[in-house]
Amino acid sequence: MNRILLALILLLVPPLLPAQQAGKGLTELPQRIAAPDFMLSDMDGQQHRLSDYRGKVVIVNFWATWCPPCRAEMPSMQRAWERLQKEDIFMLGIDVGEDEDTVFQFSANYPVEFPLLLDLDSSVANQWPLRGVPTTFVIDTKGQIAYRAIGGREWDDPALLALVRLLKDE
Amino acid sequence: MTGYSIHNKNTLIPRYGLRNLFFCILLLPGSVLAEVISSVDDETGLRGWEWHEQGISFQLRQRLPDQTRAFFLARGFNKAESDSIAQSCIFQSIFRNDGQQPLSYNLNDWQIHYQGRQQALLTRRKWDEKWQEQGVSQAARIAFRWSLLPTRQSFQPGDYNWGMTSFGLPPGESFDLTLTLHSNGKTLSATIPAIECAFAQPSGK
Repeated sequence: MNRILLALILLLVPPLLPAQQAGKGLTELPQRIAAPDFMLSDMDGQQHRLSDYRGKVVIVNFWATWCPPCRAEMPSMQRAWERLQKEDIFMLGIDVGEDEDTVFQFSANYPVEFPLLLDLDSSVANQWPLRGVPTTFVIDTKGQIAYRAIGGREWDDPALLALVRLLKDE
Repeated sequence: MTGYSIHNKNTLIPRYGLRNLFFCILLLPGSVLAEVISSVDDETGLRGWEWHEQGISFQLRQRLPDQTRAFFLARGFNKAESDSIAQSCIFQSIFRNDGQQPLSYNLNDWQIHYQGRQQALLTRRKWDEKWQEQGVSQAARIAFRWSLLPTRQSFQPGDYNWGMTSFGLPPGESFDLTLTLHSNGKTLSATIPAIECAFAQPSGK
Protein backbone atom coordinates (compact mmCIF):
# COMPACT_ATOMS: atom_id res chain seq x y z
CA MET A 1 0.00 0.00 0.00
CA ASN A 2 2.81 2.35 0.94
CA ARG A 3 4.57 1.65 -2.36
CA ILE A 4 1.42 2.42 -4.30
CA LEU A 5 1.01 5.66 -2.39
CA LEU A 6 4.65 6.59 -2.99
CA ALA A 7 4.35 5.88 -6.73
CA LEU A 8 1.20 7.98 -6.90
CA ILE A 9 2.88 10.86 -5.13
CA LEU A 10 5.93 10.76 -7.39
CA LEU A 11 3.69 10.76 -10.45
CA LEU A 12 1.67 13.71 -9.24
CA VAL A 13 4.45 15.90 -7.90
CA PRO A 14 6.42 17.84 -10.51
CA PRO A 15 10.21 17.61 -10.32
CA LEU A 16 11.70 19.87 -7.68
CA LEU A 17 13.18 23.01 -9.12
CA PRO A 18 16.77 23.51 -8.18
CA ALA A 19 16.87 26.61 -6.04
CA GLN A 20 19.73 28.03 -8.08
CA GLN A 21 17.96 27.50 -11.39
CA ALA A 22 18.03 30.70 -13.41
CA GLY A 23 14.88 32.45 -14.47
CA LYS A 24 13.87 32.60 -18.09
CA GLY A 25 13.42 35.20 -20.76
CA LEU A 26 13.12 38.94 -20.76
CA THR A 27 9.91 40.83 -20.13
CA GLU A 28 9.24 43.49 -22.73
CA LEU A 29 7.81 46.61 -21.18
CA PRO A 30 4.43 47.38 -22.78
CA GLN A 31 5.36 51.06 -22.80
CA ARG A 32 9.00 51.95 -22.70
CA ILE A 33 9.97 54.51 -20.10
CA ALA A 34 13.05 56.68 -19.88
CA ALA A 35 15.78 55.02 -17.87
CA PRO A 36 16.64 57.27 -14.89
CA ASP A 37 20.05 58.79 -15.50
CA PHE A 38 22.88 58.26 -13.06
CA MET A 39 26.55 58.96 -12.61
CA LEU A 40 28.44 56.37 -10.55
CA SER A 41 32.06 55.40 -10.03
CA ASP A 42 33.44 52.04 -11.02
CA MET A 43 36.13 50.10 -9.14
CA ASP A 44 38.87 52.14 -10.77
CA GLY A 45 37.28 55.43 -9.81
CA GLN A 46 36.10 56.15 -13.33
CA GLN A 47 32.74 57.87 -13.58
CA HIS A 48 29.99 56.39 -15.74
CA ARG A 49 26.97 58.44 -16.73
CA LEU A 50 24.18 56.42 -18.30
CA SER A 51 23.23 59.22 -20.68
CA ASP A 52 26.74 59.09 -22.15
CA TYR A 53 25.76 55.71 -23.60
CA ARG A 54 22.86 57.21 -25.59
CA GLY A 55 22.74 55.63 -29.03
CA LYS A 56 23.99 52.30 -27.61
CA VAL A 57 22.18 49.31 -26.18
CA VAL A 58 23.08 48.93 -22.50
CA ILE A 59 22.39 46.09 -20.06
CA VAL A 60 22.07 47.48 -16.52
CA ASN A 61 22.25 44.85 -13.76
CA PHE A 62 21.47 45.71 -10.10
CA TRP A 63 23.12 43.23 -7.74
CA ALA A 64 24.83 42.68 -4.39
CA THR A 65 27.64 40.37 -3.29
CA TRP A 66 25.57 38.59 -0.60
CA CYS A 67 22.79 37.69 -3.04
CA PRO A 68 23.04 34.04 -4.23
CA PRO A 69 21.28 34.47 -7.60
CA CYS A 70 23.40 37.57 -8.28
CA ARG A 71 26.53 35.52 -7.80
CA ALA A 72 25.12 32.67 -9.86
CA GLU A 73 24.48 34.81 -12.92
CA MET A 74 27.83 36.64 -12.89
CA PRO A 75 29.77 34.05 -14.94
CA SER A 76 27.12 34.04 -17.66
CA MET A 77 27.12 37.84 -17.67
CA GLN A 78 30.85 37.79 -18.24
CA ARG A 79 30.43 35.31 -21.12
CA ALA A 80 27.72 37.50 -22.63
CA TRP A 81 29.94 40.56 -22.21
CA GLU A 82 32.78 38.85 -24.08
CA ARG A 83 30.44 38.52 -27.06
CA LEU A 84 28.50 41.75 -26.83
CA GLN A 85 31.32 44.22 -26.34
CA LYS A 86 32.55 43.40 -29.84
CA GLU A 87 29.12 44.41 -31.09
CA ASP A 88 29.12 47.80 -29.37
CA ILE A 89 26.59 46.66 -26.75
CA PHE A 90 27.44 47.67 -23.19
CA MET A 91 26.94 46.12 -19.76
CA LEU A 92 27.01 47.86 -16.39
CA GLY A 93 26.75 46.09 -13.04
CA ILE A 94 25.49 48.31 -10.21
CA ASP A 95 26.22 47.03 -6.72
CA VAL A 96 23.54 48.23 -4.32
CA GLY A 97 24.68 49.55 -0.96
CA GLU A 98 28.12 47.99 -0.57
CA ASP A 99 31.53 49.59 -0.48
CA GLU A 100 34.52 49.22 -2.75
CA ASP A 101 36.38 46.79 -0.47
CA THR A 102 33.44 44.39 -0.40
CA VAL A 103 33.01 44.43 -4.16
CA PHE A 104 36.77 44.17 -4.68
CA GLN A 105 36.94 41.01 -2.57
CA PHE A 106 33.97 39.59 -4.43
CA SER A 107 35.55 40.25 -7.82
CA ALA A 108 38.56 38.11 -6.86
CA ASN A 109 36.27 35.07 -6.82
CA TYR A 110 33.96 36.22 -9.60
CA PRO A 111 36.22 38.01 -12.09
CA VAL A 112 34.28 40.11 -14.57
CA GLU A 113 35.56 42.63 -17.07
CA PHE A 114 32.52 44.84 -17.48
CA PRO A 115 32.31 47.89 -15.20
CA LEU A 116 31.04 47.31 -11.66
CA LEU A 117 29.59 50.57 -10.35
CA LEU A 118 29.01 51.45 -6.69
CA ASP A 119 25.59 52.72 -5.62
CA LEU A 120 26.76 53.26 -2.06
CA ASP A 121 23.59 54.80 -0.65
CA SER A 122 21.22 52.93 -3.02
CA SER A 123 19.94 56.27 -4.29
CA VAL A 124 20.16 55.08 -7.91
CA ALA A 125 18.40 51.79 -7.13
CA ASN A 126 15.65 53.76 -5.41
CA GLN A 127 14.99 55.72 -8.61
CA TRP A 128 14.71 52.65 -10.82
CA PRO A 129 11.68 50.33 -10.92
CA LEU A 130 13.17 47.50 -8.92
CA ARG A 131 12.22 45.93 -5.61
CA GLY A 132 14.81 43.19 -5.26
CA VAL A 133 18.17 42.07 -6.56
CA PRO A 134 19.17 40.91 -9.02
CA THR A 135 17.03 42.89 -11.42
CA THR A 136 18.34 43.67 -14.88
CA PHE A 137 17.15 46.16 -17.46
CA VAL A 138 17.98 46.38 -21.14
CA ILE A 139 18.15 49.97 -22.35
CA ASP A 140 17.48 50.78 -26.00
CA THR A 141 19.40 53.26 -28.12
CA LYS A 142 17.02 56.07 -27.10
CA GLY A 143 17.78 55.59 -23.43
CA GLN A 144 14.50 53.84 -22.66
CA ILE A 145 13.95 50.66 -20.67
CA ALA A 146 12.95 48.02 -23.21
CA TYR A 147 13.23 44.79 -21.21
CA ARG A 148 13.33 43.73 -17.58
CA ALA A 149 14.38 40.51 -15.83
CA ILE A 150 13.73 39.89 -12.13
CA GLY A 151 16.04 37.21 -10.75
CA GLY A 152 19.12 35.71 -12.35
CA ARG A 153 19.39 34.61 -15.95
CA GLU A 154 21.76 32.67 -18.13
CA TRP A 155 22.87 35.77 -19.99
CA ASP A 156 24.70 33.92 -22.72
CA ASP A 157 21.51 32.13 -23.75
CA PRO A 158 21.35 32.72 -27.54
CA ALA A 159 17.62 33.47 -27.45
CA LEU A 160 18.13 36.12 -24.80
CA LEU A 161 21.08 37.68 -26.62
CA ALA A 162 19.06 37.76 -29.84
CA LEU A 163 16.49 40.00 -28.15
CA VAL A 164 19.22 42.34 -26.96
CA ARG A 165 20.82 42.50 -30.41
CA LEU A 166 17.50 43.29 -32.07
CA LEU A 167 17.40 46.56 -30.14
CA LYS A 168 20.46 47.75 -32.04
CA ASP A 169 18.57 47.62 -35.30
CA GLU A 170 15.46 49.47 -34.25
CA MET B 1 -11.48 33.96 -4.47
CA THR B 2 -10.15 30.47 -4.53
CA GLY B 3 -9.26 29.43 -1.00
CA TYR B 4 -7.31 26.33 -0.16
CA SER B 5 -6.67 24.75 3.16
CA ILE B 6 -3.88 22.27 2.78
CA HIS B 7 -4.54 19.29 5.00
CA ASN B 8 -1.57 17.86 6.78
CA LYS B 9 -1.46 14.48 5.08
CA ASN B 10 2.21 13.70 5.40
CA THR B 11 3.89 10.62 4.02
CA LEU B 12 7.48 9.93 4.99
CA ILE B 13 9.73 9.02 2.10
CA PRO B 14 13.17 8.05 3.33
CA ARG B 15 16.23 9.26 1.42
CA TYR B 16 14.87 10.99 -1.65
CA GLY B 17 18.12 12.34 -3.02
CA LEU B 18 19.94 14.27 -0.31
CA ARG B 19 16.87 15.03 1.65
CA ASN B 20 14.14 13.39 3.58
CA LEU B 21 10.91 14.56 2.08
CA PHE B 22 7.47 14.83 3.53
CA PHE B 23 4.65 15.51 1.13
CA CYS B 24 1.37 17.18 1.79
CA ILE B 25 -0.85 16.85 -1.25
CA LEU B 26 -4.19 18.42 -1.89
CA LEU B 27 -6.34 17.59 -4.87
CA LEU B 28 -8.39 20.69 -5.41
CA PRO B 29 -11.76 21.03 -7.06
CA GLY B 30 -11.35 21.22 -10.81
CA SER B 31 -8.31 18.93 -10.74
CA VAL B 32 -5.92 21.73 -9.80
CA LEU B 33 -3.01 20.31 -7.86
CA ALA B 34 -1.18 22.10 -5.10
CA GLU B 35 1.33 20.65 -2.73
CA VAL B 36 3.53 21.49 0.18
CA ILE B 37 6.81 19.68 0.55
CA SER B 38 8.68 19.67 3.82
CA SER B 39 12.30 18.63 3.80
CA VAL B 40 15.35 18.31 6.04
CA ASP B 41 18.81 19.10 4.74
CA ASP B 42 20.98 16.07 5.43
CA GLU B 43 24.11 18.14 5.91
CA THR B 44 22.83 20.96 8.09
CA GLY B 45 19.72 19.48 9.69
CA LEU B 46 17.86 22.64 8.75
CA ARG B 47 14.29 22.30 7.60
CA GLY B 48 12.53 23.72 4.59
CA TRP B 49 8.99 24.08 3.29
CA GLU B 50 8.00 24.47 -0.33
CA TRP B 51 4.60 25.27 -1.85
CA HIS B 52 3.87 24.68 -5.53
CA GLU B 53 0.91 25.38 -7.71
CA GLN B 54 0.62 25.84 -11.45
CA GLY B 55 4.33 26.55 -11.81
CA ILE B 56 4.35 29.08 -8.97
CA SER B 57 6.46 28.19 -5.97
CA PHE B 58 7.36 29.64 -2.60
CA GLN B 59 10.12 28.13 -0.51
CA LEU B 60 11.17 28.75 3.07
CA ARG B 61 14.46 27.50 4.47
CA GLN B 62 15.39 27.84 8.10
CA ARG B 63 18.28 30.12 8.98
CA LEU B 64 20.11 29.55 12.23
CA PRO B 65 20.03 32.54 14.58
CA ASP B 66 23.84 32.43 14.66
CA GLN B 67 23.95 32.52 10.88
CA THR B 68 21.64 35.53 10.71
CA ARG B 69 23.45 37.32 13.53
CA ALA B 70 26.80 36.93 11.76
CA PHE B 71 25.33 38.14 8.45
CA PHE B 72 24.07 41.40 9.95
CA LEU B 73 27.06 41.97 12.23
CA ALA B 74 29.11 42.01 9.03
CA ARG B 75 26.81 44.65 7.55
CA GLY B 76 27.02 47.39 10.12
CA PHE B 77 24.58 46.30 12.84
CA ASN B 78 25.78 46.14 16.43
CA LYS B 79 25.40 43.04 18.58
CA ALA B 80 22.09 44.00 20.17
CA GLU B 81 20.55 44.89 16.81
CA SER B 82 21.88 41.72 15.18
CA ASP B 83 20.53 39.69 18.11
CA SER B 84 17.08 41.18 17.70
CA ILE B 85 17.03 40.18 14.02
CA ALA B 86 18.45 36.73 14.71
CA GLN B 87 15.78 36.04 17.36
CA SER B 88 12.87 36.98 15.10
CA CYS B 89 12.43 33.74 13.13
CA ILE B 90 14.22 34.53 9.90
CA PHE B 91 13.95 32.27 6.87
CA GLN B 92 15.64 32.33 3.52
CA SER B 93 12.82 32.46 1.01
CA ILE B 94 12.52 31.99 -2.72
CA PHE B 95 9.48 33.02 -4.71
CA ARG B 96 9.42 31.84 -8.34
CA ASN B 97 7.02 32.22 -11.20
CA ASP B 98 7.72 29.33 -13.53
CA GLY B 99 4.09 29.33 -14.61
CA GLN B 100 2.46 30.81 -17.67
CA GLN B 101 0.82 33.91 -16.20
CA PRO B 102 2.04 37.07 -14.46
CA LEU B 103 1.49 37.19 -10.71
CA SER B 104 1.71 39.70 -7.91
CA TYR B 105 1.82 39.46 -4.14
CA ASN B 106 1.89 41.72 -1.11
CA LEU B 107 3.38 40.29 2.08
CA ASN B 108 1.09 42.57 4.09
CA ASP B 109 -1.79 40.32 2.94
CA TRP B 110 -0.16 37.17 4.35
CA GLN B 111 -1.13 35.81 7.74
CA ILE B 112 0.83 33.99 10.42
CA HIS B 113 -1.31 31.68 12.57
CA TYR B 114 0.39 31.24 15.92
CA GLN B 115 -1.09 29.98 19.19
CA GLY B 116 -4.64 30.85 18.12
CA ARG B 117 -3.72 34.36 17.00
CA GLN B 118 -3.15 35.88 13.59
CA GLN B 119 -0.36 38.30 12.91
CA ALA B 120 1.43 39.83 9.96
CA LEU B 121 4.98 39.33 8.75
CA LEU B 122 7.65 41.85 9.70
CA THR B 123 8.22 43.60 6.42
CA ARG B 124 10.82 46.11 5.25
CA ARG B 125 8.79 49.11 6.43
CA LYS B 126 8.23 47.76 9.92
CA TRP B 127 11.88 46.97 10.39
CA ASP B 128 12.99 50.29 8.92
CA GLU B 129 10.78 52.19 11.38
CA LYS B 130 12.53 50.33 14.19
CA TRP B 131 15.98 51.04 12.78
CA GLN B 132 15.22 54.73 12.38
CA GLU B 133 14.02 54.94 15.99
CA GLN B 134 17.22 53.25 17.14
CA GLY B 135 19.45 55.43 14.97
CA VAL B 136 20.90 52.53 12.97
CA SER B 137 23.36 53.66 10.32
CA GLN B 138 22.12 54.25 6.81
CA ALA B 139 24.53 51.65 5.37
CA ALA B 140 23.17 48.96 7.70
CA ARG B 141 19.57 49.93 6.94
CA ILE B 142 20.24 49.72 3.21
CA ALA B 143 21.81 46.28 3.58
CA PHE B 144 18.86 45.10 5.67
CA ARG B 145 16.24 46.44 3.29
CA TRP B 146 17.67 44.76 0.22
CA SER B 147 18.26 41.45 1.99
CA LEU B 148 14.57 41.01 2.78
CA LEU B 149 12.17 39.55 0.24
CA PRO B 150 10.39 42.50 -1.43
CA THR B 151 7.17 43.38 0.40
CA ARG B 152 5.34 43.81 -2.89
CA GLN B 153 6.39 42.29 -6.17
CA SER B 154 5.05 41.51 -9.63
CA PHE B 155 6.56 38.60 -11.52
CA GLN B 156 6.28 37.83 -15.18
CA PRO B 157 6.75 34.18 -16.16
CA GLY B 158 10.41 33.33 -15.62
CA ASP B 159 10.98 35.85 -12.81
CA TYR B 160 11.94 35.10 -9.23
CA ASN B 161 13.38 36.63 -6.06
CA TRP B 162 15.41 35.39 -3.14
CA GLY B 163 15.27 37.19 0.16
CA MET B 164 14.88 36.76 3.88
CA THR B 165 11.44 36.72 5.49
CA SER B 166 10.88 37.61 9.12
CA PHE B 167 8.04 36.19 11.19
CA GLY B 168 8.71 37.82 14.55
CA LEU B 169 8.49 34.65 16.63
CA PRO B 170 10.97 33.16 19.12
CA PRO B 171 13.39 30.41 17.99
CA GLY B 172 11.84 26.94 17.88
CA GLU B 173 8.23 28.14 17.66
CA SER B 174 5.82 26.59 15.16
CA PHE B 175 3.22 28.40 13.06
CA ASP B 176 1.06 28.10 9.95
CA LEU B 177 1.42 30.59 7.12
CA THR B 178 -1.40 31.60 4.81
CA LEU B 179 0.01 33.11 1.66
CA THR B 180 -1.99 35.02 -0.91
CA LEU B 181 -1.16 36.00 -4.44
CA HIS B 182 -2.93 37.26 -7.51
CA SER B 183 -2.57 35.68 -10.94
CA ASN B 184 -4.59 35.78 -14.13
CA GLY B 185 -7.39 37.77 -12.49
CA LYS B 186 -7.76 35.31 -9.61
CA THR B 187 -6.68 35.36 -6.00
CA LEU B 188 -4.89 32.23 -4.86
CA SER B 189 -4.52 31.45 -1.20
CA ALA B 190 -2.89 28.49 0.52
CA THR B 191 -1.75 27.56 3.99
CA ILE B 192 1.61 25.99 4.73
CA PRO B 193 1.19 24.16 8.03
CA ALA B 194 3.57 23.60 10.92
CA ILE B 195 6.49 25.77 9.84
CA GLU B 196 9.17 25.82 12.54
CA CYS B 197 11.49 28.68 13.38
CA ALA B 198 15.04 27.37 13.67
CA PHE B 199 16.46 26.58 17.08
CA ALA B 200 19.77 28.04 18.11
CA GLN B 201 21.27 24.79 16.83
CA PRO B 202 19.67 22.61 14.16
CA SER B 203 17.57 19.88 15.71
CA GLY B 204 17.52 17.54 12.72
CA LYS B 205 20.89 15.93 13.34
